[in-house]
Amino acid sequence: MSLLALTLACRCVFQLFYSFFKSLVGKDVVVELKNDLSICGTLHSVDQYLNIKLTDISVTDPEKYPHMLSVKNCFIRGSVVRYVQLPADEVDTQLLQDAARKEAMQQKQ
Amino acid sequence: MFRFQSLDEDCTLEEEDEGLVEEEDEIDQFNDDTFGAGAINDDWQEEHKRLAELDERDELAAGLSLGGGGTLGGEPDLGGTQHSSSSSSSSRLPPSAGRLPLPSSLPPLGFSSSSSGLPPPDVEDRPGDGDLAESLARLILEADPAIAGVGAAERPGPPPGPGLSGLHGLDQPRVLQQTSSIPHQHPHHPQLPPGPSASGLPPGPPPSSMLSYQQQQHLMRRGTAPMGQMNSHSIWENSMGFGPVSVTPGLVTHMEDSPLMSIIKEVGLPKRPPQGRNDEGRDLSERVPPPRSSSPVIGSPPVRAVPIGTPPKQPMSHALNHQIHHPTAVHVRAPVQHRYPTPFPERLSPNTLLNIANSPLCRGPFPPRVGPVLSQIQRAQLLNSQVAGFPRGGPGPPLLPGGGGFRPFFGGPPPPHGHRMGPPPPHGPPNHTPPIRHNTTHLHPQHRRMLTQRMQSRGGDRGRTGGDRRSRDPYSNLMTQKEKEWVTKIQMMQLQSTDPYLDDYYYQNYYEKMEKRQERERDSSKKEHTTKLITPQVAKVEHTYRPVQFAGSLGKLTVSSVNNPRKMIDAVVTTRTDDEEKREKQVWNKRRQILYTVEKMYSLLLEVQDFEKRFVQTPEEDRDALVEQHKSNTEQLCSSLMEKEWEDRVSDEQCVMIMSVRKGKRLISRLLPFLPSPQATAVVMAIARNLPALAKKDKQDQVLCWLVEPVSTVIQSLSSSSLTDLLQELQGSEGQLATVLHNKFGVTLLYLILSEGERMQSSDPNCQLMDDNRWTELVFSVTRELLSVPSSALSPPLFTPPNLLSLFSRYVDRQRLELLQDKLQMSALSR
Repeated sequence: MSLLALTLACRCVFQLFYSFFKSLVGKDVVVELKNDLSICGTLHSVDQYLNIKLTDISVTDPEKYPHMLSVKNCFIRGSVVRYVQLPADEVDTQLLQDAARKEAMQQKQ
Repeated sequence: MFRFQSLDEDCTLEEEDEGLVEEEDEIDQFNDDTFGAGAINDDWQEEHKRLAELDERDELAAGLSLGGGGTLGGEPDLGGTQHSSSSSSSSRLPPSAGRLPLPSSLPPLGFSSSSSGLPPPDVEDRPGDGDLAESLARLILEADPAIAGVGAAERPGPPPGPGLSGLHGLDQPRVLQQTSSIPHQHPHHPQLPPGPSASGLPPGPPPSSMLSYQQQQHLMRRGTAPMGQMNSHSIWENSMGFGPVSVTPGLVTHMEDSPLMSIIKEVGLPKRPPQGRNDEGRDLSERVPPPRSSSPVIGSPPVRAVPIGTPPKQPMSHALNHQIHHPTAVHVRAPVQHRYPTPFPERLSPNTLLNIANSPLCRGPFPPRVGPVLSQIQRAQLLNSQVAGFPRGGPGPPLLPGGGGFRPFFGGPPPPHGHRMGPPPPHGPPNHTPPIRHNTTHLHPQHRRMLTQRMQSRGGDRGRTGGDRRSRDPYSNLMTQKEKEWVTKIQMMQLQSTDPYLDDYYYQNYYEKMEKRQERERDSSKKEHTTKLITPQVAKVEHTYRPVQFAGSLGKLTVSSVNNPRKMIDAVVTTRTDDEEKREKQVWNKRRQILYTVEKMYSLLLEVQDFEKRFVQTPEEDRDALVEQHKSNTEQLCSSLMEKEWEDRVSDEQCVMIMSVRKGKRLISRLLPFLPSPQATAVVMAIARNLPALAKKDKQDQVLCWLVEPVSTVIQSLSSSSLTDLLQELQGSEGQLATVLHNKFGVTLLYLILSEGERMQSSDPNCQLMDDNRWTELVFSVTRELLSVPSSALSPPLFTPPNLLSLFSRYVDRQRLELLQDKLQMSALSR
């Protein structure tokens, strides 16, 4: 049951971004990892740890990483992501601000 | 210390019938030793030599035995397992005081050599002194489930009686499997008090057990030809083959000592037997982890202990499901209680649905995750969407168009085909394998629609190629379906929430807004609104990678990496005088103060905004409290705008202050609809009054135009006198109007006011607008100003209300009207 407690703790911190990324499922994003690898693909799914599954990927920087040539889909662990580049028109910044405010309020309580 | 005795009995058992006699002898001898008078003196050195020779030939046997020993069930259990195993094995033995605790006390080597009559299980006591380390190593290695082999899996055999299991009360289901197979081979003994061990053992039927052991041995060897040599290789083999031999707890700890482990590391796996042996035909690569079993040992207490980590069984999972189902789901829009449908198809249980739904999907690139909350509805939907087939550019997908499954939660009328979810046809897995299967049931219907459109446009051509890739999945079947579900449930339980609207704020609202937007567009344009495919434009820059180098440098240069990040900012320290610093600090403090105020107001505002939604959701009793809270929130909001001293007047200063910050402007624009009318009016007045200042401050942000909409709403609700007042405020002091006209927002505001006045006049003949001359005068001055201001200074408004022309036509003559028209480009009335 400690597993459950731990996961519940994770949940309240990440709900905002999880919710945010969920709304981007199906959109094209570019994920830059901490090892400097940049992967462009369609966001297939995300989970509460912000692990990302991308489909139809391509490495954006031309083939400095040739070992990725044959890979079509990938799963990226959330902790290794540095940036996620999003299409700007898919994001409602006002709503995001509100969500952040709500999250802050919630955490305060 | 354990007794490590290679078991001649073992090897003999593996013999064909001729060896049987010898086995009998050996067994008998063992019996003597274990249960008889005492230790028989044996030459352990000889034995050791023999064994050492065998060792080299016994690699395969070792492997086999490792396999056999693999089901030991892990080190922690080692002692116990061994106990039980030994117990089980020894159960057949007559109670023996001969459980010689010390390896040095030799069960005679003579055992191995001579006794053939001992039942297999008796072969526990073996002298193994010299090779203690080796045998230990082997033991541990065998005990390691990682090295587990086939053997255990195939040994059902009648385990020997309760034996020590009763003593130690250990339930080792897997191990117990082993015990029968390992009866003899215990290089180690538990250091049992002879008495209990002895007493606990009813003499089992040696022959039968022996036979069964033999069978097991044959099984283990896959029916390959029996060993040539009785006494030699089989010793090791069998000794390897046992698993959970009786090892005392002391022994266990001993084994876990570091020196032993180091020995083990050095020794490594026991040497493989030479290839020439017949029984090596076994293909070791075909070992699979033994299935978990709970085969009870006859006479032993029933197996209740389930291996750690076993997923819950069916009933529990059901209970879990129920827990999950009934609280409202995360990904479903907050369902309203009274609209909760009863869609679940009674014929199919949730688990069945899940299985059906999951089975065709197991081969996908991403094994589908079960819907985040496994509500019954969603499972039905899952089944619908998945089983009914994924579009491959084929017939329109029955993917719940219009969000059939979600309709109940729309707040709209119950869906016409909501009962679709009724009996979903559980036909077999679709015969095509779509490239990527999306589990979309948890998504907002709007989102799903967009996704499917996108998938259709992209996926049609790719659909056919993906099938073959997935036909062979080397990683399938590692986990049973139940296990998968169990893990998924743990994950999903974390995502449950009682208030999806709160926890999933962004997502829910985003798609609500999108829907509203689409509806609005559809209404206005009356055409099908297709989703735009939005792809980020990534610039393709061609460059080859060249590591950083300088000519003439030696070695590598420091390149920035994660652990050695590059310098991002050049922070330059500028010296400032004290005064300046103080001033800057003041400014900054003030700004911070404003921001703080704004944030506080925002939180209030958000609460107020959500009031409606929450109101609908709360039960009757709590509603009053909610209303109270709402009122107080609103009041607080208002008061924050008010003057400190005069509680009923809107503070200009405060308003302006707030609006000097971009966030504040946004705040005000959202706040206005919620303010009571007089206050709203006052705020708008304040805005008009201070427009020049605001305009100046807004130069950077340019966001005043956010205010247009709420302000226009307010204006439209104004009375004529207020309107006139407003216009007056706008004009304010000298030259204000000019500034107003400079500013886009100002112009728009002006137009709005004028247009409203016109509307009032034209619609309501009794309108009081013309009662005093103020309005007329004001309009005159406006027109004067408009005409005099150079065109370049006039900024285009956001929009031009159509009735301005008619307004001006009332007040100005034709000539001027035309001039005005040109200037303001009002020719198209329908703009």
